[in-house]
Amino acid sequence: MLRYLLSAVLSLTLLSDQALAAEKYVVASDCTWPPMELLNDEKQPVGFDIDFIRAVAKAAGFEVDVRNIAWDGIFGGVATGQYDIVASATTITEERKKQFDFSDPYYEVAQAVVLPAGKSISGLQDLKGLKVGGQIGTTGIFVMRKSGVDVDLKEYDDVGLSIQDMMNGRLDAVICDDPVALYYVNKKKDTAGKITIALVTQEKEYYGFTVKKGRKDLVEKLNMGIKKVRASGEEAQLLEKWMGKK
Amino acid sequence: MEDKKDGSKANIVMVTDGASIPDPREWRLINAWSIALLGAICTLCALCVIWPEPYLRILLYLPDGVLITFKITLMAICCAVPLGLITGLGRISRNRFINLLASTYVEVIRGIPLLVQIFYIYYALSRFVQVSGITSAVVAISFCYGAYMGEVFRAGISAIDKGQTEAARSLGFNRYQTMRLVILPQAMRTILPPVGNECIAMLKDTSLVSIMAVPDIMQRARSFVGTTYLYFETYTMVALLYLIITLLLSKAVSIMESRLNYYDAK
Repeated sequence: MLRYLLSAVLSLTLLSDQALAAEKYVVASDCTWPPMELLNDEKQPVGFDIDFIRAVAKAAGFEVDVRNIAWDGIFGGVATGQYDIVASATTITEERKKQFDFSDPYYEVAQAVVLPAGKSISGLQDLKGLKVGGQIGTTGIFVMRKSGVDVDLKEYDDVGLSIQDMMNGRLDAVICDDPVALYYVNKKKDTAGKITIALVTQEKEYYGFTVKKGRKDLVEKLNMGIKKVRASGEEAQLLEKWMGKK
Repeated sequence: MEDKKDGSKANIVMVTDGASIPDPREWRLINAWSIALLGAICTLCALCVIWPEPYLRILLYLPDGVLITFKITLMAICCAVPLGLITGLGRISRNRFINLLASTYVEVIRGIPLLVQIFYIYYALSRFVQVSGITSAVVAISFCYGAYMGEVFRAGISAIDKGQTEAARSLGFNRYQTMRLVILPQAMRTILPPVGNECIAMLKDTSLVSIMAVPDIMQRARSFVGTTYLYFETYTMVALLYLIITLLLSKAVSIMESRLNYYDAK
């Protein structure tokens, strides 16, 4: 009898402990998309998105545990509840909105076409008949498909592999988000100077944090956090740290 | 190669990889193979008829991927089987150098996962030679399966009774003629089924090439999932499609085996 009582008390205290502590959400991020998210030398996720979600969490009063998850299944995992939030430079699109809920937009990007240095194009139609690469399931691929330009579209597991293949001469162009393109063109040692951004699309896209459909509570928390981070000026600091913008 | 007394199990080459080949002597209508095939086909049809959206849409999205998968598999078979034969002969060669060369090849290739070999040939070796995704896929798979098939050929050839060689040699055949005219035709009967099995395993392993942006069945499916986020539906269709293909091929190998064993069965 005493044992039952003890275990009941113990479990109660444990449960209340959990309730008292800040809620902890698991965040998934595909760390192959610099400077939004990448792995540092200690194999820990870093990047603008990672710092931003941490700042948002702090402002909204919850904790986060960031994990590196491959892009290919990242939406499947959030749909089945393996993690709560995807903070991985995900553009808010109509198709994705049907399946998932998004926070307010937190960053504006456009699609950039990267070419080997010295080459140029005046529009997407100039890519006709060429081999164009990008990361599988990203908006760069969608934009290329929707443009209706007849290209040989190669879908890689991560954008780094497609840049590598273009450097090797097997691809004519790579299409990806402009911050990522800028990182490879300016920052990354082995590609900087050898490639160039030839075109940035007019249409803008907006990143949002992705959660499972119906998690209104989480969306509200995230939106509140984003507002606070913006108001406090922390966002500007992060932008300067990762993008060099003021 | 035991059980020499009754002769029936003398020439069985064991393999551990690949689909299980249905026993050609199996005459009953209901067996594992027919249940699996009927089940797969019925499920596939039922899903497409009851929920054409999205299942039929997925099925119609995949055919060009199926073609690429078959293309890579066929090309790899054409390279891997001769490579396997040469390796197998090298492994039983009395020439120390050739023997060592073939054995080292088998040892090295079997110790490296196929996925790593594919990455190596496509991304690492691209510093020196530039080949397309499909070519690297064929090269990587042929080299890998050449080593496995080398072992199958070696086992098949050594399973032929030594008396055959001795008889041929004493009849005046030289070593090359003995191998080509006496040993290999007999060994083929035991070798072909496991080689067919390796080919089926090869077809399944071509799903790895999607990492090189080669649009095979798997890559087509992933790209479909990338836009629709229908993970369950898409991968169900892909699994059923692969299952139906391998089941049909394993039956083909089984029929071939029963033809080859025509004299043994009597």
